[in-house]
Amino acid sequence: MSTPTRTRVLHRFHLPTVLVLSSIIGVLVGLAVTATEPIPGLPVPDGLVRVGLPIVRVLLDMAAVVTVGLCLLPILIGFDRPKLAEPLLAGVRRIGVAAPLVWAVAAFIALVLQTAELYPGEEVSGGAIADYVDAVGAGKALVFVVVAALVCAALGALTVRFGEQVPAELRTAVAMLALLPLPVTGHATNWRWHDFTMISMELHVMSAVAWTGGLGAVVVLLAGNRTLLAGALPRFSKLATGCLLVVTATGLFNGIVELTVAPGVSFVDALFGDGYGLLVLIKAVCVVGLAALGATIRWRLMPAIVAHGRTALIGWAAIELAVMGVAFGIAVVLTRTPV
Amino acid sequence: MNRAIKAAAVTGFVTAGLLGLAGPASAHNTLVDSDPKNGTNTATGPATITLTFDQPVQAAASVNSVVVIGPDGGHWESGDISVDGTRVTTPVNPLGPAGGYRIGYRILSNDGHPVTGQIEFTLTAAGAGPSTGARPDPSADGAAPAAAVGSEDGGGLPTLVWITGAVVLLAGGLVLALRLGRDSNR
Repeated sequence: MSTPTRTRVLHRFHLPTVLVLSSIIGVLVGLAVTATEPIPGLPVPDGLVRVGLPIVRVLLDMAAVVTVGLCLLPILIGFDRPKLAEPLLAGVRRIGVAAPLVWAVAAFIALVLQTAELYPGEEVSGGAIADYVDAVGAGKALVFVVVAALVCAALGALTVRFGEQVPAELRTAVAMLALLPLPVTGHATNWRWHDFTMISMELHVMSAVAWTGGLGAVVVLLAGNRTLLAGALPRFSKLATGCLLVVTATGLFNGIVELTVAPGVSFVDALFGDGYGLLVLIKAVCVVGLAALGATIRWRLMPAIVAHGRTALIGWAAIELAVMGVAFGIAVVLTRTPV
Repeated sequence: MNRAIKAAAVTGFVTAGLLGLAGPASAHNTLVDSDPKNGTNTATGPATITLTFDQPVQAAASVNSVVVIGPDGGHWESGDISVDGTRVTTPVNPLGPAGGYRIGYRILSNDGHPVTGQIEFTLTAAGAGPSTGARPDPSADGAAPAAAVGSEDGGGLPTLVWITGAVVLLAGGLVLALRLGRDSNR
């Protein structure tokens, strides 16, 4: 019976596709909202860098989401039904190697594009990239991400070989570590409040990735197996509630700090008049929508799921993943936008 | 008990990483002051322009640029930019025609992203300089940084080549990764 189970789990790839496509749409919307006229006389980076860099960054985030989701899956499923869970997990472990590889390569391409951004119109040489890594913190951060993602891939390969003997908690911790460098080199860690805003930003990113990854993993991989779903969804729901609270609190904190301490513009002007403020508003709307969708799944669908019934979970989860994707796309543009 | 220990270990690991990676945090720079100030009128052109930001500007070679565009569309900046902490200074040629001048800047801010902006001032009386500013050589923007960037390495590759190479490498890696589990189908 294990072979049919292995192939059956791969049916719901339209949900990850929804997530990735909506994240790209989020990037394009964010770029449109913050588009500024080029300043005459200054070198302008070409379209490949201007549009390509945020898109590669959001694809990096999506690869991280898939990696973390797969690391969380065994923890969410629990260990009380190993005979049922093992064939399913065995089928997806290879994705746990593929996703970190995409993560590492996306980080490398982002490094090349960020170097190219500094020298518009130039060709990028290996020496230029090395100089960038040496001179700029963001370059060092990307190198760290490449290395950490490759370690995740190696752990994933070990998991393919040894199964759940490689602890899921370890894999999750390494994946979380690989998430840490990029947020502190982004925009919302303000100079004057840097301790608090930096920690807040890290918590924001880790919670958002765990939330999206957990939702994707549970719905895509477990929706066909009602027994495992009945066990995993309540656990995920607790995780999601915690993540929702952390994401909202940290997002509000960082957004308010950024908009308040920006020199030369009042809070209200920045919030409604500025590209940055508009993106913060869009993200706030997204999180309200996610809270509503999560509440629907928790209060209306979960009782039926726990009773092993059929529900419209996939449809609701698709909408929720789409909103999450847009939020990630907007977030990437936000890290590159001055207030 | 085992799960609690594992959970504590993971939390400790991640917290240690969080604090250990706490380098100096950084963010985008914002212009807080300039000389000449934005929107002012002046009778004599400035000899140097100073832009002051709220955070230190990264002073790596050829990553920052300041241009002064006159009413004729020509460039009036001269010489190299110098960066001193939060201040960026550039010398200016003697200005020519009266009118609106725009100072455009592109600086590498603390967090590694270039920040661009523009301020303006008006020259009320024609200065002693030539009547038209320097026209930038179309290859000038490319030539000077290329000499600085490419010289150690003998030229670079277009970004598209880097991206294609990385994607091809990824495709190879994915093929290997997705074949991994197949042989161990127990």
